[in-house]
Amino acid sequence: MFKNNETAEIGRNKMLKKHIKNTVAIIAAATSFASIASAEINGPVNYIIPFGPGGESDISARLQQPFFKDKFGEDMVVSYQPGGGGAVGWASLNGLNGDGQTIMGVNLPHIIIKPAQKNVGFKTDDLNTFYMFHYTPDAIVVTADSPYQTLADLVADAKANPGQVTMSGSGKASANHLAQIKFDKLAGTLTTYVPFKGTGAAVTALLGKQTVAEWGYTTVGAKQGDAVRMLAVAMENRHPLFPDVPTFKELGYDMTGGAYRGIALPNSASAETTKMWSDMIAEINTDPAFQKKMLDGGFAMLDVDSAGMKDFMAARVEEYLKDAREAGLIK
Amino acid sequence: MEFSHFLSAMTPFNIALALFGVVAGTVIGSIPGLTATMALAVLVPITFSMDPASALILLGAIYTGAIYGGAYAAILLNTPGTPSAIATTFDGYPMAKRGDGDLAVALACFSSVFGGMVGAIALLLLAPPLSKVALAFGPVEYFWLSIFGLSLIASLSNGNLMKGLAGGAFGMILSTVGVAEISADIRLTFGSQVMIGGFGVVGALIGLYCIPVLIDLVATPERHLKVEENVKSVRISEAFKIAMRSKFNLIRSSVVGTLVGILPGAGGSVAGLVAYSEAKRTGKDHQKFGEGEPDGIIATESANSATVGGGFIPTLVLGIPGTPPDAIVLGALLVQGVRTGPAMFSQSGSIVYTFIYGLIIATILMLPAGLLIGRYAYKSIVTIPKAVLVPTVGFMTIIGTFAIRNSVSDVIIMLCLGVFGWLIARFGFAASPIVLGLILGPIAEQGFVQGWTIGAATNNLIGMFFGRPISQAIIAFTLMTLILPIYLAYKKQPHKEV
Amino acid sequence: MGTSSSKSQGQFGSLFISTLFIFIGLITLYDTTSYSDRDSQVFPQTVAIILIITAGTSLITRLLKPSNEGGFGEGIWWRRVLFISAMFITCFAMPIIGFLASGVIAFTSGLIAAMHDKWSFRTVLIYGCSGAIIMVSFFILFKFILFVPLP
Repeated sequence: MFKNNETAEIGRNKMLKKHIKNTVAIIAAATSFASIASAEINGPVNYIIPFGPGGESDISARLQQPFFKDKFGEDMVVSYQPGGGGAVGWASLNGLNGDGQTIMGVNLPHIIIKPAQKNVGFKTDDLNTFYMFHYTPDAIVVTADSPYQTLADLVADAKANPGQVTMSGSGKASANHLAQIKFDKLAGTLTTYVPFKGTGAAVTALLGKQTVAEWGYTTVGAKQGDAVRMLAVAMENRHPLFPDVPTFKELGYDMTGGAYRGIALPNSASAETTKMWSDMIAEINTDPAFQKKMLDGGFAMLDVDSAGMKDFMAARVEEYLKDAREAGLIK
Repeated sequence: MEFSHFLSAMTPFNIALALFGVVAGTVIGSIPGLTATMALAVLVPITFSMDPASALILLGAIYTGAIYGGAYAAILLNTPGTPSAIATTFDGYPMAKRGDGDLAVALACFSSVFGGMVGAIALLLLAPPLSKVALAFGPVEYFWLSIFGLSLIASLSNGNLMKGLAGGAFGMILSTVGVAEISADIRLTFGSQVMIGGFGVVGALIGLYCIPVLIDLVATPERHLKVEENVKSVRISEAFKIAMRSKFNLIRSSVVGTLVGILPGAGGSVAGLVAYSEAKRTGKDHQKFGEGEPDGIIATESANSATVGGGFIPTLVLGIPGTPPDAIVLGALLVQGVRTGPAMFSQSGSIVYTFIYGLIIATILMLPAGLLIGRYAYKSIVTIPKAVLVPTVGFMTIIGTFAIRNSVSDVIIMLCLGVFGWLIARFGFAASPIVLGLILGPIAEQGFVQGWTIGAATNNLIGMFFGRPISQAIIAFTLMTLILPIYLAYKKQPHKEV
Repeated sequence: MGTSSSKSQGQFGSLFISTLFIFIGLITLYDTTSYSDRDSQVFPQTVAIILIITAGTSLITRLLKPSNEGGFGEGIWWRRVLFISAMFITCFAMPIIGFLASGVIAFTSGLIAAMHDKWSFRTVLIYGCSGAIIMVSFFILFKFILFVPLP
């Protein structure tokens, strides 16, 4: 009699389990259909810049703003959340709603170097970066009336007077700083890096002759026009806006790169939402009118979408961490 | 500079924009926690469909109004509506407490209009040469300027010198919390992520200035501000007369404000402090400053309004923003395809000049608009029963602090600072030195470290810090400002509070 | 009052806060030892030393010359406590029950704390309604016009 009940019970359990499995499967299918169907934007999107206004991140976001409205019909609201050199914003990203209405700008090397230094509230891999849409190539900038006509002049001066060539730049352990360290290694020179709060302050210092040169970006050259001269840019080929400025590679220094900027979603966002945003930004990025505006501003275009992001980031992580370790910035 | 640009600025559309901007800006600036930067950031997309000159006029008008609007909360609630109005609390609130609040508001309006005009005219006539001033200020000059600002602590702390200095030092320590700007360290966070962003100035302002006032308001049944029974409109002419009597103060403070506005990274708060310090040092009645001296308001409000025009000088001429709102304006211009920087005055001259004239018009419009809004603001604050005023302001502090960085922890920090500020104020430690330390600390630190790095690299440390003419002038002013209160403290009775 | 100068509220409070500041200065100095960059240490160390010296001087002079100055003064305590604790509770409640709901907590407590006159039906109605209007208008202003993501 026992056995019969047991078998009946086991049988009932099996049926129950099957029912549960089926129900779960149906629910899962339904929700995934729903999320595919709901991967769209409803209402204005919030584009958070983890810095104060006026920087390159802000400018590039502002350039995207009208194109977004034009193509997708919704407002893109740019807001600022400065603090900790971006850390405050990035640390709060994954606490935000992942429905696709909120995105945040991300910057390399910041999001790689900062977590490696100390506990900043986020790890590089935590951030769901779905697109890298431009970079600002490193460039050495001097004033138009500077005695340095070419990069060779600066290198010669630095070699003759080690430590006395002062170069302003934005922040420490930043793109500018890493570029200065790398170049010093390649050229065998010893220059002094003077950190300033943001590119604007670094440019002011250069123009005011507080330092003799600046580690900046091509955007500085575009903005300041005839007031400055760029000695070299860290690109594969010369920038279309500056056909007369050689690349570091041409001059014998194997250096390309700069500060990369992209956009991320909270990591609670679904794969569909991520793909949707990746496609939207890609569409803006391939618009010739947008590209012209960016290039005119001195930016350099880049297209790394959500599919290619993993490899891109892995390569950058390796590169930056190696440079930073060699420079003694991280352990 | 042609007259045609003035005419294009005078179109009905542009004038309407200017008026709307000034009114909206004033309202926004008067709410603590809402800054001009925030308002501009939100309104930039509207400008995409306008032509560049009109867009600039709108943004400039909002900025102008916001800097003025900060004075309302400063005078009537002891809380700077924007950081630029910090120094306005020194004399504004005491004046309000003794029943002269409407006088103070009217004075603030006249001074702001005058200062704004001086700044705008400087922008119009002297922009290119003045932009060189921005460049001549190197890290060392910024360092000495912040020391000068900090020396104001000494003269503010009548008789409580040690406590004032301790407060200032404490404020400077607070400013180091978080990620260091010019080095790669994270400081005083004790491993937690809450403090990575550091103590924001706006939140700290609200906490240290407003919360103690509220704590005391709930505790006693007295009215918040004394109300006189006079006809309010009489005070406008009274304010005008007072302003005219202090012509020299007005002019000097406006010039100071313009110059400080030209320096990127300084801004309205520093301008107000410097102008106040000078007004106090050279004023006939040193002691009255801080107890409701109209000259104090004249100095701070004209100076901080002058930074609007002054700040646009490096923004338009060099493409380097003088203040955060300027950075937003730069962004808006860039989207429109307008190239700022050295080429702007020559290539896009019509846009620039139309804008500057529009700014002047907006400043002029601020006079009737400001007086009207001011009278209305004063009336409402004074007649609202305290039982409703306190919770309203309390609610405002919460929502305002939250809006800065969309963070609840900011609000909690603000409240903690507020309770702390109330506590220590009971025992002789004032809030203003702490705020001064918080604002000027980063400027001092960056200036020092940068100056040291350059000086050490060029083997010229002494010359770097003491050999530059502008630095020497600032050092001289600092010494003069310091000697006065120490001398006064020495003259006072021995059994004073230390 | 009956307390002597050296035991008065003002005396004790002033000494306590001076000591607190000295303590803060010491903590800062300790923290600087963990920095990797010499540049980040200079300023905090200098300022911490200034803090310790000034707070110390204030401490010593107050000890040597006790006085009655300072103190909590008049004021009804429960109102203060209610007001401040309500504000704190509002902050902690915000992520859970949303902004408007927690705002109501803050507003009502503030109302009760600040209301020294007698309550009447009329005042409850008027103050309550104006409070609601104020809160809702601010909410709309911030959330929908300024796009601040209030919970």
